[in-house]
Amino acid sequence: MKSTRLMAWLQPAITGLALIGLWYAVKAGFKIPTFVLPSPGEIAQAAWDERGPLLSAAMVTVRGALLGFFAAVSVGFLLAMALGFSPRIKASFYPYILILQMMPVTILAPVFVLWLGQGLPSIVAITFMIGFFPVVANTTMGFVSVDRNLRELFLMCKATRAQEVRYLRIPGAMPYFLTGMKIAGTLAPIGAIVGDFLAGSAENGVGGIGFMTIAYFSQLKTPALFATGLVACVMGFLFVGGVNWLHWRLLHSWHDSMVKKE
Amino acid sequence: MSAPSLVRIEHVSKRFGSGPLVLDNIGLTVERGEFVSLIGPSGCGKSTLLRLIAGLTEPTSGQLVIDGMTPEDARELMFFVFQDANLMPWRKVAENVELPLLLRGDATARRTERVKRMLEVVGLGDAAGKFPWQLSGGMRMRVSIARALSVAPEILLLDEPFGALDEMTRDKLNEDLLALRQTDPFTGFFVTHSVAEAVFLSTRIVVLAANPGRVSTVIDVPFPYPRPPELRETPEFLQLLAATARALRAVRGGH
Repeated sequence: MKSTRLMAWLQPAITGLALIGLWYAVKAGFKIPTFVLPSPGEIAQAAWDERGPLLSAAMVTVRGALLGFFAAVSVGFLLAMALGFSPRIKASFYPYILILQMMPVTILAPVFVLWLGQGLPSIVAITFMIGFFPVVANTTMGFVSVDRNLRELFLMCKATRAQEVRYLRIPGAMPYFLTGMKIAGTLAPIGAIVGDFLAGSAENGVGGIGFMTIAYFSQLKTPALFATGLVACVMGFLFVGGVNWLHWRLLHSWHDSMVKKE
Repeated sequence: MSAPSLVRIEHVSKRFGSGPLVLDNIGLTVERGEFVSLIGPSGCGKSTLLRLIAGLTEPTSGQLVIDGMTPEDARELMFFVFQDANLMPWRKVAENVELPLLLRGDATARRTERVKRMLEVVGLGDAAGKFPWQLSGGMRMRVSIARALSVAPEILLLDEPFGALDEMTRDKLNEDLLALRQTDPFTGFFVTHSVAEAVFLSTRIVVLAANPGRVSTVIDVPFPYPRPPELRETPEFLQLLAATARALRAVRGGH
């Protein structure tokens, strides 16, 4: 038991070391200059040197990602509830939600900038656009796929529509909602960075990670450019970790996916 | 007017959409306090008949009268025990039993007291805080029955409740069901595949034939209640068992 846990850490660690070794070997062997491919050490050094601006940029991006994520989750949930409420509402609106989803953010971004201006509101809007569809699609599925027998149980109990929503549909849709939320959580930091890249600004002297990427690229500060990638990865893991925790918190006591059968 | 029959099923036929006739001209009158088993080959419409009584589906022709009302209006008098336990996986055992009381609008104190009592009655006092997945199939069914009886229904409709359980658990639950009926009397309708179960529980057994579903034979079960488990070993019981099995074989004959 203990050795397998050790192996679970050791195996990826060995792979990681091997990859870093390969990286150094390729850079040295082909004499690749740093502005094209910095070494892992140089990236780490750049991340440390630029820690001030990178941290402020990360905070800006996290703010955009969080706001966009919450907007996507709450609007998505309410919309899904409306769509799940009646097949007619779903038939009337679902195609247009799909159309919205098909629209690439690179086309929506300039529109948002036109409407909302450069900066946070546009970034939040872009993050929202990326995250809300998975929430709507999954949660709607949850609302409509309520167990038939349980519905009949509520019918036998003469439950009102409101009672059915509160005690049956919402709890029943929870696993689906959380799955949508997981996807939205994975996409939120990416959405915020893309949003920042397309519609970011440094008006208050601080841009987000996407904005920094452009800045470092134009200055050919390649190690710092790679360091922004590193920061983005860490942010992504934090988001996914947070959402996974929430998922576990709400479902671990009863849902099949979490329950351990001994 | 003398006390009218509790359930009257008059010339009831049922087909789904433009499909074949599922039930053909069913007539059955059931008095308060009876326990009627519906037995027959698959496709004889016994579950459909139960759902018609519950008002979960409408007859194509004929009518059902429950205590002078339509099935839909009489729902307050009835409860349904489904084939699988049909518990809500996110609610603990006690919360599952509480649900019908909650939906009905009972006060918290009353609910708590009633849930406690019902769980004790079905022998699950210790399981109140568990989730359904932590229980065995038999225990889940007990929870389902506790939930059904929590509202003290006048009529209990049971749709093959013990079909998925092993014979020992089933026998035990049959005995418990009868014991429950002694303390909280209800009129029962019980769909089953098991002849032994039908004979042990019922006051009457309705044997249905299939294609279309129709009443073939009605067998009276004369044994008085309470019925001890040993009843199953008496010659009278075994005789009635054989007679019921024969009646069932007769309707299966064509297949």
